[in-house]
Amino acid sequence: MAQRAVWLISHEPGTPLCGTVRFSRRYPTVEKRARVFNGTSYVPIPEDGPFLKALLFELRLLDDDKDFVESRDSCSHINKTSVYGLLVGGGELWPVVAFLKNNMIYACVPLVEQTLSPRPPLISISGISQSFELLFGIQDFLHLGQKNDTELNTKLNQLPDLLLQACPFGTLLDANLQNSLDSINFASVTHPQKQPAWKVGTYKGKPQVSISITEKVKSMQYDKQDIADTWQVVGAVTCKCDLEGIMPNVTISLSLPTNGSPLQDILVHPCVTSLDSAILTSSSIDAMDDSAFSGPYKFPFTPPLESFNLCYYTSQVPVPPILGFYQMKEEEIQVKITVNLKLHESVKNNFEFCEARIPFYNRGPITHVEYKVSFGQLEVFREKSLLIWIIGQKFPKSMEISLSGTVTFGAKSHEKQPFDEICIGGTAYLKLHFKILDYTLTGCYADQHSVQVFASGKPKINTHRKLISSDYYIWNSKAPAPITYGSLLLVRCHN
Amino acid sequence: MSSRHAPRAGGPAPREPVVARSGVAPETSRFHLGGPGCWTMGPLSRETWAQRLGAFRASPSAFMAGPEGEDLGRDLLNELRSEKLSEQTKVSLLALSLEYPAQLWPDAAAAEAAATSLLDTLVLLPPRPSALRRPLLLAATTALAAGDALGPTSGASRRLLPLLLGLASGRDLGRGFGPASEQRPLQATACECLRELESCKPGLLGGCLGLLRSLLGQEGPVQPLSLLLALALRNTLVIQARARAGLQGLLVAGDMPAAGGPWNWTLAEEADAHLQPQAPSWPAAEEEECGLAVLEPSPEEARELRAAVAQLLDTSYLLTPVAQAQLLWLLGWALRGLRGQPPVLFKPQLVRLLGTAQLTLLHAVLALKAAFGEALFTAQDEALLLRRLTLAAQHPALPLPAHLFYLHCLLNFPENCPLGPTGEETAPLLLGPRLCRGLLPSLLHDPSALLAHLHLLCLLCAEDEEKEEKGQDWCPRHYLGELLAGLRQRAALHGGPRALATLCFQASYLVVHCLATQPTVLTPLTHGLARLYRARPALAPHFVDLLDRVGPELGEPLRTALRQEVVSRPGRDEALRWHLQILSKVADGKAPSATLGFLRAAAAHCTDWGLQQALLQVCRALLRAGVGEGLADLLQALARQLEDPDGRDRARLYYILLAHLAGPKLGVALGPSLAAPALTSSLVAENQGFAAVLMVQEAPAPMRLSVGPRRAAGPVPVLQLQVEVLEPLYSVELRFRVEGQLYAPLGAVHVPCLLPGRPCRPLHLPLQPRRPAPAQLAVRALFATPAGLTCHAHLPPLPVNFADLFLPFPRAPDGDKQGFFEELWDSCLPEGAESRLWCPLGPQGLEALVARHLDPFVVVAQPPTSYHVAIRLPPASRLLLRLEAAQGDGVPVALRTDDWAVLPLAGDYLRGLSAAV
Repeated sequence: MAQRAVWLISHEPGTPLCGTVRFSRRYPTVEKRARVFNGTSYVPIPEDGPFLKALLFELRLLDDDKDFVESRDSCSHINKTSVYGLLVGGGELWPVVAFLKNNMIYACVPLVEQTLSPRPPLISISGISQSFELLFGIQDFLHLGQKNDTELNTKLNQLPDLLLQACPFGTLLDANLQNSLDSINFASVTHPQKQPAWKVGTYKGKPQVSISITEKVKSMQYDKQDIADTWQVVGAVTCKCDLEGIMPNVTISLSLPTNGSPLQDILVHPCVTSLDSAILTSSSIDAMDDSAFSGPYKFPFTPPLESFNLCYYTSQVPVPPILGFYQMKEEEIQVKITVNLKLHESVKNNFEFCEARIPFYNRGPITHVEYKVSFGQLEVFREKSLLIWIIGQKFPKSMEISLSGTVTFGAKSHEKQPFDEICIGGTAYLKLHFKILDYTLTGCYADQHSVQVFASGKPKINTHRKLISSDYYIWNSKAPAPITYGSLLLVRCHN
Repeated sequence: MSSRHAPRAGGPAPREPVVARSGVAPETSRFHLGGPGCWTMGPLSRETWAQRLGAFRASPSAFMAGPEGEDLGRDLLNELRSEKLSEQTKVSLLALSLEYPAQLWPDAAAAEAAATSLLDTLVLLPPRPSALRRPLLLAATTALAAGDALGPTSGASRRLLPLLLGLASGRDLGRGFGPASEQRPLQATACECLRELESCKPGLLGGCLGLLRSLLGQEGPVQPLSLLLALALRNTLVIQARARAGLQGLLVAGDMPAAGGPWNWTLAEEADAHLQPQAPSWPAAEEEECGLAVLEPSPEEARELRAAVAQLLDTSYLLTPVAQAQLLWLLGWALRGLRGQPPVLFKPQLVRLLGTAQLTLLHAVLALKAAFGEALFTAQDEALLLRRLTLAAQHPALPLPAHLFYLHCLLNFPENCPLGPTGEETAPLLLGPRLCRGLLPSLLHDPSALLAHLHLLCLLCAEDEEKEEKGQDWCPRHYLGELLAGLRQRAALHGGPRALATLCFQASYLVVHCLATQPTVLTPLTHGLARLYRARPALAPHFVDLLDRVGPELGEPLRTALRQEVVSRPGRDEALRWHLQILSKVADGKAPSATLGFLRAAAAHCTDWGLQQALLQVCRALLRAGVGEGLADLLQALARQLEDPDGRDRARLYYILLAHLAGPKLGVALGPSLAAPALTSSLVAENQGFAAVLMVQEAPAPMRLSVGPRRAAGPVPVLQLQVEVLEPLYSVELRFRVEGQLYAPLGAVHVPCLLPGRPCRPLHLPLQPRRPAPAQLAVRALFATPAGLTCHAHLPPLPVNFADLFLPFPRAPDGDKQGFFEELWDSCLPEGAESRLWCPLGPQGLEALVARHLDPFVVVAQPPTSYHVAIRLPPASRLLLRLEAAQGDGVPVALRTDDWAVLPLAGDYLRGLSAAV
């Protein structure tokens, strides 16, 4: 399992090439093996220029999709994964693992240790998952705490040295590039026996453990008879353990209050040494009942030096934190809107911020707005065809607020106003953005006393919690809205 | 300006290393570092190098073709020893050599020299800390492995391997190898280098297994040693299994090769040129393909092997997740073919691995599942793995590319008891509708995500076919229908991006591909697509593409629906060109009057050349479909009324063809559909099409012709030809031409019909030699193919041998054969020639030789010792032979002929007889 080459390409729509290769690295010893293994189906790695062109074409990132091009638009040219075949130099380079994230295209080509014709299934290619890990690792490194282009450039400049550490011959040794950076800096430390490869040094200083639980809640609300609203909580538990010793053992328990919602679909960090089978099998796939395992959820582990995600989970809370409806009716060049939002009484009414964004797609700029809000203020972004209803830190005592108004639009000009393939005609949504500190919707918390540390010194334990919204949509109930299978199913089950 | 172009003091650079070296650190070096006597050019500045490297990276091929290309590799090696360049610049030079060794040092000799130079640079580094040691080791390894220089005869290999092994085992290599603080990282690097060499040359470290095990047990760095040991172990097992040899104590032999002593290349050479796939044999690949014969280790060996594997697995938690995954793949593969090695060793790792979200780890578990099946995963384990996979494929905390990969794994899940056909994506049995609920497609998905989830939905619908609406609370087919409708609605959006349209057609194609037998799906799909066309005719190219790719289940009804959709419109639509494009695809013999009506109406609006051509393209489709009635009138009208002369000509041509050619011939003449005429003259384009049909065209030889047994009789020599054909041929005419005018012109041979597999009686080709000499016949065949094309082909030339021209003399008077022969014999002289020669006899002896080759020409025979032979050689020569007093290995031959030119031919013939069987 090895990589033949890796690229980072910035996507620059509107420029002549639509992109620039920001980084590339080839592995000639792997390439040599590819030539032997692939035999007559071998296609060599192209130079950066042709690769850039072929990849952008395949990913539809060139600005030229006016005409039907069979090699890209044919109905049988079906791609169901992030793995592509690129036409370069008369052959088809496959498999090319590639994805676009934050305007950066991450791409690499794993070695396939057999002939490529017929194409073997991806599952049988050991290098494929390694490709993903390498690209995810680079992505994490580039975007961890990165704020601007200068920082991005600095990090891009560090990449050659980092890959020389983490992937010297094309076989990935560590996907955590920050770790490799540290290992360059730690190089002079003499390593004791049995040092884990994922921990390049040891911590010296005051012992402390930080645990932070972040829950994101997403929702799709329709306010319709035949479509059920859906919502889901996704939690992430992040830890930073500053503890002395090579392999300190820590156990963290997550607990729920008596009426808390059980955690499901738990995925843990590889440093977790063992897992209760109840944790392993607790899943949102099964119908919920009272017998669901409700903790405490124990995670024994040996922490790495850096901050890491101890586990992820999902949960199905009984009600969404904010329930609302959105009605929008088109009348010639203007639309009438009515919005109503209600905070559930069980939810902590103390937001860091809370706002509702109401975009109008595929229309001209806003020329005029008449409105009435029962609470908060409305901001109008005319050119962006966007309204933002700023609700602020608290809902009023009634827990219920409303907005109604009429919005008038000017003539549509294609450059400035956003196009959206979903919001056609009356199909429209508003999206809620909010954040509540020191609160989780499931009730999940890490008790300071439940943290066990087997290391010298008694550590200070810090815990944090927060709830933030993510993909919290309320769809216009007066027009069709995109639904998921779950919405149909729930209604049918409830009926 | 840089000083690169300064005159070279020392003349051209020597290709060979200056000093031959052996051992790790040379005591002396005659290398000159810089200075006036050096053959390098003056050192380049940091900026110049940065520029040069930038130019190279922008396009290596262009740079290497340019003026600086040739020197780059050599300059780079020299500059590494320059004292003026910073270490950082040197590291970037080495980085280049790590990526492009093949460009810098294009052949094995250059790679060997480069590796030698890099090793020299390494040993000459001053003993203080340096950032160069690690990249130098990597660069030397890369140069050898990528440059095909690694091997027992390579001096650089003989230096590098013991050096790496020494570093890897933490041996003190003296002050030359930097301060103690660098030893640990160098130890790890040396392991990586060895692993890469072992990957490129499996078996290289077969002799070091015991050593590596003991290092791993001591204080060595766990990850590099574990991976190195696992790879070497896997490769050794494969090589030994293929050689049907045991482990031969390789696992316990602990000594390292003596410093400077010979490296053991035995295993590597056994495996040479056979890199083995690392992937565990996935169920689709059979054992033989992987070359892994079943190895049966002795109990002692099995115990050692188990201990080695357990040792690796026990410390695997110290490895990074990606390295753990590699270890599992390697060990899984290593143990797969071994009898008596229960995979239960892996079991303790599994629970830990199943809990993680790490892609490589879950993938490695799937590899173990595929390799060991039920032996490692009980039915319960399998169900749990499947649940975790299902969960991972939709977990909101994981990124989309991971979801899609997991979904792929689900549809290719290595089941314990697979039911479906292998090699096709199917939903595993245990993956019921309940498990799939979260995996169904939604319009909010990205295109690839939507297609992936849609495929799963289609598979469920296919399964659901049998259950057919049994009051279930879910109906995937209904959902599928709504989803497709949503996709079509988006595709119909005027001015929407093409990607949306493409997605809609890809989804439709996928549905047809999976559910071709379900009318409940196909009927609404057909109607929906027809409505989509009505809403947005500009999607015509997508429709044409779809029709080209789907089977008749959707193709037939969709053709009909689209034809009706188009012809029901008035002919003056702004989307006329799309309608015509569709119609040229779907117009067939059905309901021609409506189609012709539409075309007549449209003709008036076809004002430009492009539209006229599109219109004629539809006429062409109708011609091919055999529509006659009404079409002639239309074509005639078009030939008069079209504005463009090219269009009128083409219409007239079609009219003439329609009037003069019978239906089937017309179909063939118009051939497969003409692509949109790229030339401005459609007639020229069309002519290219017919040239194929109406003219004779060259084809590859469809038959094999050979000369059969001789038939020495009659007035002239006759070749018997045997024919084999590869395909049916009709009206075959074979034409022969003699090279050098040795014979009179040959008549053609005609055969009405030749069919493959049906024997054909031999064809007779009479020869009329002008001189009795062998010749070559050039052969051409003219024939008609079953498709009605007339072709000609050149066949390989036929040789006519000297003996093919032999004819017997008319019978001698009964009583006096001897006299007859003597008379002929005497008549040859004095004009002719006489000779004596030795005809070697094979083991068969004279009698058999004569019987085989000369029997028809024997006049007087006294078997087994004496034969008198008279041969007539047309047109007017004779050859007389006396074969008498044969000895063990040959017979003397007296020979007379009346034509001296025959003499050398006869000599060759006789000498060749014993060899000719």
